[in-house]
Amino acid sequence: MKKEYNSMLVCAVALSTSIGVNAQEKLIVLNEGNWQSDNGKVSYFENGKIVSNQWFRDVNGYKIGDTPNDIIQVRPDLIAITVNWSNIVQFINAQGKAVAATEDIPNNRRLATDGNYVYVTSYGHECGTINGTKEFEKGFVAKIDANTFKVIDATEVGYEPEGIAYYRGKLFVANSGGYAFQEGHDYETTLSVLDAETLKLERTVDTGQINMCSKMSQSGQYLCLNSPGDYYDIPGATIIIDSDAVLAGLPDDNCFVSLTCSSTYNCTALDGSFYAVGAGYSYNSGDYTFNYVTIDPQKAFDTDGEEGIEEELPGSIVEDIKKMVMPYGIYVNPYTGYIYATDAAGFVEGGTLYQWSPQGKLLGKHGVYINPGHFLALNPKGESGITDPHQDTTDENADIYNLQGIKVSNVNSGEIYIKNGVKYIAY
Amino acid sequence: MRSFLFITAVVAGSMTLQAKQHADSTQSLSELVVTASRRPLATAQTLEGPQLQALSSTSIADALKYFAGVQIKDYGGLGGLKTINVRSLGAQHVGVYIDGIRITNAQNGTVDLGKFSLSTLESVSLYNANKLDRCQSPSEFASGATVYLRTRRPDTDSLSVLGSIGSFHTYKGKLNAQFNHRGWSGFIDGEYLNSKGDYKFRYKSQYEDTIGRRKNSDIEYYRIEGAAFHKGFSTHLYCYVSERGVPGGIVRRLSDKYINVGREWDVDWFGQASWTHRFAHGHQVLFNAKYTQEYLRYCTDYPENQNTARVNNHYHQKDIYASASYSYTPFDWLSVNAGYDLRQSWLKADLRNFRTVRRLDQKAVLAIQAEQWGVRLAASMLYQHYRDHTRTHAGAADPLSRFTPSVTLGYSIKGFSVRAWYKKIFRVPTLNDLYYTQVGNRNLKPEYTRQWDLGLEYHYDTPLWSASAQVDGYINRIDNRIVCLPLKGTYSWSMMNYGKTHCRGLNANVSGRFTPHEWTFSLTGSLTWQKDLNKTNPESQSYNKPICYSPTLSYGITGIVGWRWISLTVSDLHVGERMWSYADPEDVLKPYNNIDLKLTGRWKMLMASLEINDLLDEQYEHVPRYPMPGRSFTFSLTVSI
Repeated sequence: MKKEYNSMLVCAVALSTSIGVNAQEKLIVLNEGNWQSDNGKVSYFENGKIVSNQWFRDVNGYKIGDTPNDIIQVRPDLIAITVNWSNIVQFINAQGKAVAATEDIPNNRRLATDGNYVYVTSYGHECGTINGTKEFEKGFVAKIDANTFKVIDATEVGYEPEGIAYYRGKLFVANSGGYAFQEGHDYETTLSVLDAETLKLERTVDTGQINMCSKMSQSGQYLCLNSPGDYYDIPGATIIIDSDAVLAGLPDDNCFVSLTCSSTYNCTALDGSFYAVGAGYSYNSGDYTFNYVTIDPQKAFDTDGEEGIEEELPGSIVEDIKKMVMPYGIYVNPYTGYIYATDAAGFVEGGTLYQWSPQGKLLGKHGVYINPGHFLALNPKGESGITDPHQDTTDENADIYNLQGIKVSNVNSGEIYIKNGVKYIAY
Repeated sequence: MRSFLFITAVVAGSMTLQAKQHADSTQSLSELVVTASRRPLATAQTLEGPQLQALSSTSIADALKYFAGVQIKDYGGLGGLKTINVRSLGAQHVGVYIDGIRITNAQNGTVDLGKFSLSTLESVSLYNANKLDRCQSPSEFASGATVYLRTRRPDTDSLSVLGSIGSFHTYKGKLNAQFNHRGWSGFIDGEYLNSKGDYKFRYKSQYEDTIGRRKNSDIEYYRIEGAAFHKGFSTHLYCYVSERGVPGGIVRRLSDKYINVGREWDVDWFGQASWTHRFAHGHQVLFNAKYTQEYLRYCTDYPENQNTARVNNHYHQKDIYASASYSYTPFDWLSVNAGYDLRQSWLKADLRNFRTVRRLDQKAVLAIQAEQWGVRLAASMLYQHYRDHTRTHAGAADPLSRFTPSVTLGYSIKGFSVRAWYKKIFRVPTLNDLYYTQVGNRNLKPEYTRQWDLGLEYHYDTPLWSASAQVDGYINRIDNRIVCLPLKGTYSWSMMNYGKTHCRGLNANVSGRFTPHEWTFSLTGSLTWQKDLNKTNPESQSYNKPICYSPTLSYGITGIVGWRWISLTVSDLHVGERMWSYADPEDVLKPYNNIDLKLTGRWKMLMASLEINDLLDEQYEHVPRYPMPGRSFTFSLTVSI
């Protein structure tokens, strides 16, 4: 991976003759801030330095709002952010400039996209669409047109839907039921599968694991999810979903595998494995159990969880994370393989962004703001570095990324990918 | 909740001074018992009588904010929760007592001061550590700081009616009847208030200019209470019924379509009785009994509230309390006090995975006071035992038994007094801390405080002039703070023991009074300086930094000018800058100055008053994004016969 990075660097330097050294590492970090304090902040990190810990304010002259909760790249020049407690889905361009915002999806949580539409999960019970307000007993998924920024449709799923992923024209939505202790219903244990175009519910997969409330990482056909258990008798678990098995209509039990480790914070590594940091806590004993794992989803699936789970992360990452006061997120830059994690420390202190090389060598720690939990890397060849984006489209051997920004080795015919910074349809 | 009834002339009576000597040893006892020494031992501040009523104040919190060492936490508006924190110990270390009997809340351990009226009170006192009477119940020793609310004992018959109208659609009516017959005295006091609380606020900074009107900040309440007194016997019945909005923080929104609505209903009532008696030579007994019932409903199930779970919970609390204390003074220089307290509390709630919790709380105390060659000593050893019973899933916390000491030394000469004291005390985890569904943690340890204080006090009194001053330096240490934190490596929050703080501070009070013919001039001031530092984790960036929300400097000044039938009170409260996070130097609450005015005039049976609160219309906050109301006016008219 190191070699690959170097070659990319050379390539980038060669490309950006007119504006100096091209940025390799461009990372946006969402700092949630404190709930109801209106102090969510966006940090922007470039080439080993924090450019700003209030990037959104600097660019736009106003605050992003309360509790930014997820960030996704829709197109090279369009990024969506859910600002949960402000009830806002905020759209910005790659320079951080606000381009649109909607409050039609209150209590929004997490995002997925196919490049033309943005799909948002919500714990709320009403959604303003172009066809009027829709009301739901449980939670819902809303669909925003990324050209008009209007909510064009919404569909009810389970209670408190959290993670969402787009795969082959379908949406995979994890229902958490996270309000179970306050409302009358139970925790959810299901995954709702919707058709992205019609938002029709196509299938519900019961994983038997409660409260799947983490980020949903995606690696090709595999999804990684965490169940924290109930902190008393039901232990935490990691659930690996095989999206292809779900779409093929296999029985529920053949669509997922439950692992005994926790993956509260998970992400997709460059080689397609999942990195996960998690903790189990028991009120019965008052004890924590931590784990730091690399999951090879295919192997885990094939061996029913017997193999494919390594109790390690590259280099010194485990060691470094163990020193954190409160780990709060982990991320791999899909373009460069650099690895990031955050420490939220005491929740009234500024958090810290750790950066490691793809091999896990600690490169630096950077002060960010309160509760830094969500990341998005920008394409190093993106907006700021490339004067003529068509120039290198002839590079047939360039890396290919899916729309989640994750590098892929195999492409599926008829799907959209990103190559050389532009979208194309694979044949 | 302001003053409405002045039996004596508003200002003709003595303007009792803050920090004046208040007969440490008599006030909770019968009027007949007067053994006050004029030499103060405990660190105390008192507002009483006309001065208390002359303050522009709507609740007890408004009176307490003028005391040195007090920080008020207020979420804004009439309905906002108001709690006090003394010398940075935390609200749950402050015990609030009505006529010597503690107001408790087993559920969360704090008292919402907004629920109690000043109009039935004779005095409000704050004792750091605790009061030092010769005969006290053990629970009076059991908090880090104690607030005493002393009910007024009427000395005449009267009937009065008050009507008032104020800013933000606030209307209030009040009725008071009191009597004094054949050694019995008492009152009935009823009050109704309705306020929309729709005040304007503005946030203006480099990154925003938000102008709005507070929503969901309304309150409506009824309060009715009655009391009767006869020699050493007193009894008090109290009932409070309210409905209020619980507003959220002001955050970025694109419109007003959604607001964070929560609503709360309270029905609280208690009945208490106390009897004290002196007999033979140097013997005294004190018996207290109280029954409390509290109901709280909290609901967030409204269409405009899309941000939280749809909660509709009902909480019921019951509390039975009884205590017996005995003191014996065999010699003039020595007295011994022994007492036993029993409290049983029940908490029932329709929360998931929650069962009724019953807590048995027993306390015993042994205390002595001795005096020789002008040197006085007070020492106590308090024993507390807590045992919970519940069928809640994780089971009850282990029983807790602890001894905690305190000791005070004092010396007085010619109006001067010097004192030094030490107190160790803890707060037991509340039932919420331990058992609240999902958040509660039954493995919590008690939160300990240790306080050291060195103080000096001076009094000067003549019929025309009086003056007093006191200054106390103090050190507080808190260990095992009970806080709500996210569980490491999860997204779930839980109560945890986390944190240590060290606080050094200085409290000072001065007051003076001058009463020439038909005039009264009075000036009192209080000042708090403190460094309250985080000592939790030496590795952390916040180590040795000030505790959030703790100002370094704050002060209050109150001046009263009275002439015959008219009086004017001006008070100014300044609270310095407080940080609310360590993450960014801009995360500070700005210092503020609150100037309140109150003009009162009386003519025959009528009394009229005009209050202006926050005269300069300062926009300030106690909690970030919870704006305070700004300038407001209240006009009241009282008719008394």
